[in-house]
Amino acid sequence: MSDAGVVRLLLFRVGRLTCAAEAETVREILPRLQATRIPGAPPVVAGLVNVRGTLVTVVEGWRALGQPEPPTGSDGGTTVLLEVGGGRRVLGFTVDEVVDLLTVDGGALERRQALPGIDPTLVRAVGRRAGHLFVVLDTDALLTPVMPS
Amino acid sequence: MDLSQYAELFLAESREHLSACNQLLLAWERKPASLEPVGGLFRAVHTVKGMAATMGYAAVTDLAHRTENLLDHLRRGAHPATDELLQLLFRARDALEQAVELSVRGRERDLDLSAITAELDRAAARAGGKAGRAAAAREPPPPPIEALAAPGRLVQVVLRAEAPLKGGRALLLLKRAQALGAVHAVSPPPAAFEAEDFDGRLAFRLESAAPADQIRERLRATGDVESVTLPEEEERRAAAPAAAAGAAVEPARSRHLRVDLRRLDGLMDLIGELVTARGRLNELAAERRDPAIDDVTIQISRLTADLQAEIIQARMTPVWQVFDRFPRLVRDLARQLGKQVAFRVEGKEIELDRAILDELGDPLMHLLRNAVDHGIEPPAERRRRGKNPEAEIVLTALRERSSVAISVTDDGRGIDRATILERARRDGLVDPHAEALTDDQLLRVLARPGFSTADAVTNVSGRGVGIDVAVTRLRALGGSIEIRSQPGKGTTFVLRLPVTLAIVRALIASVGRERYALPLTYVAETVELGAAPTTTVEGREAIVLRDRVVPLVYLRQLLGVAGDAPPPRRPIIVLEMGDRRSGVVVDGMLGQQEIVVKGFDAPQGTLPVFSGATIMGDGVPALILDAGGLV
Repeated sequence: MSDAGVVRLLLFRVGRLTCAAEAETVREILPRLQATRIPGAPPVVAGLVNVRGTLVTVVEGWRALGQPEPPTGSDGGTTVLLEVGGGRRVLGFTVDEVVDLLTVDGGALERRQALPGIDPTLVRAVGRRAGHLFVVLDTDALLTPVMPS
Repeated sequence: MDLSQYAELFLAESREHLSACNQLLLAWERKPASLEPVGGLFRAVHTVKGMAATMGYAAVTDLAHRTENLLDHLRRGAHPATDELLQLLFRARDALEQAVELSVRGRERDLDLSAITAELDRAAARAGGKAGRAAAAREPPPPPIEALAAPGRLVQVVLRAEAPLKGGRALLLLKRAQALGAVHAVSPPPAAFEAEDFDGRLAFRLESAAPADQIRERLRATGDVESVTLPEEEERRAAAPAAAAGAAVEPARSRHLRVDLRRLDGLMDLIGELVTARGRLNELAAERRDPAIDDVTIQISRLTADLQAEIIQARMTPVWQVFDRFPRLVRDLARQLGKQVAFRVEGKEIELDRAILDELGDPLMHLLRNAVDHGIEPPAERRRRGKNPEAEIVLTALRERSSVAISVTDDGRGIDRATILERARRDGLVDPHAEALTDDQLLRVLARPGFSTADAVTNVSGRGVGIDVAVTRLRALGGSIEIRSQPGKGTTFVLRLPVTLAIVRALIASVGRERYALPLTYVAETVELGAAPTTTVEGREAIVLRDRVVPLVYLRQLLGVAGDAPPPRRPIIVLEMGDRRSGVVVDGMLGQQEIVVKGFDAPQGTLPVFSGATIMGDGVPALILDAGGLV
């Protein structure tokens, strides 16, 4: 992400956090799909889902970001398909809800900084929307450790 | 004109012709007096030359021309094969292959062919002599009409026999043609115009809107032109027997069509979707119980099955497409190592899915290398042991139930079990008191990646080299590998593979609330847990089935499935892979169905017992268990 220029961000909520991913890495937004557990995979992996015939590995957002588990029986949330590793791979990421699609000036984002309650290595920048802070996630840092290189 | 779209095609066809050259050279080596291989070689190289000229690959064209020239002299002079000639031709073929590969990648500049072309020319001069050249003059080559299909009208030109400087004239004529429109597929290639044997006949395709009369007139104006033939005349003359002269070099009319493998993969994916949708339709129809819907459902089921069978068939490729490069490999390696080997291939026509076949080349190459290098003794040692100094290596493909077995057998010294056992004991791979290694244990030891380093097994015979590679590759394909070795008598490796990867019949088993698919390829039978008594063998629970011990694998524990205690009586799925068996204990059976095998990105830590995943009728994925990982 460059400091200058315009950046389009997809904002979503995971637990108490408002997060953002660069819109160009977002392949698709889907309702939560029934996932098949993958034995042996770390708990952060929700499992395998079927996206129109293609199998996609899904990462549980609240586990990855250290948020409390959403109450069972809530309507299940949303799966965001993200391109990682420069588009070589697509992974699903579950979120509670999608909040907004935002166009911001790159300069308005503050470079990575520590925020309480989130692992700083997962944060690329911090921005503000209607007075509230949101974190722009480093989706590669978030998702690649799950997958073998 | 942009020819890049033809580059892949050129590459594929050239590889085929060059692979054929290998077979022909080996055939000539076996029967040095035979003329047939030389004729075949000439035609193959000639075709490559024509194609390369069309593509504008000057280096390939030139090298092919010189090779062809030598072959032509050999053919005319009925020259027998000598070791020296064969070596040269093998090297020329290899150089051609390299030239083709580099040219297609736009790296023609990296080629240095001066040494080989000089050698070819010297050999041609020796083989040819004046007699050869005189014969060439008397016997005009057939009209040079061959090349890739290219757009435009076919124009055939014959220059006057008495014309001086025919080559220059022909180039001039091409220039004039280019002024009329785009010129493709010039044959012979312009590079060959200056050759001694250029007889003043050429042909090309001209993309031009100009009327035939005008084209003829313009080209004739070049001077020294005997005739210019364009399509109308072509048709008229086609009826006349004169056209038959071109028969030898006419492109073979093939009823085959080259299809990009990605297309076939795409088609396969679509069929997969269709099969999945059919499953859903069947379920719905069963709920509705409407005869009209049932009828349509049955019809759609049948059509889908037929379509699926057709597309699977379209992907099937005979194994010779991969096997054909091995005779040369074995020959070269044997020469290099000073061994005598008779190499035989059986079951060349057996077919496998293209995707599987493509993956098979490397493992087989490893095994053949091992056989020549380590399996087979030097001739002197063989003689001492009362064996034929010429060793035998056989590569066989054999169709079994729903799999194909490919074996590599040598009659060499066999694997030195004692040394391997000692090492396995030292590394803690087997019980320190183990007295002997079974074939099965032998493979397990050899297939350990650490075991394959050359220095570790130099004294053993280096058998480990590449076996871990082969085993890994085979497993990824849902196949298995087996080893049989007898001291002094030889070693056999058997690779077992599913015939197709894409769609397989599978048992669907339930474990807790989860479903898993088990391809039927390796399912021998199912029995009930509790029906047969269990025992403990080597610390593992097992059942005895018709006097054979079958160790049990509890899927619930292995996969860490949560949930209530399983029912006491439940099915055991008995898997069989070669000589090995294993009983997989599941909670229940949900039936048998065709599944579409798909890959998935396995996260870190995923248990190594899955060969892929599939999408069930309800649209939810299920993992496919890999028999090789369970047996």
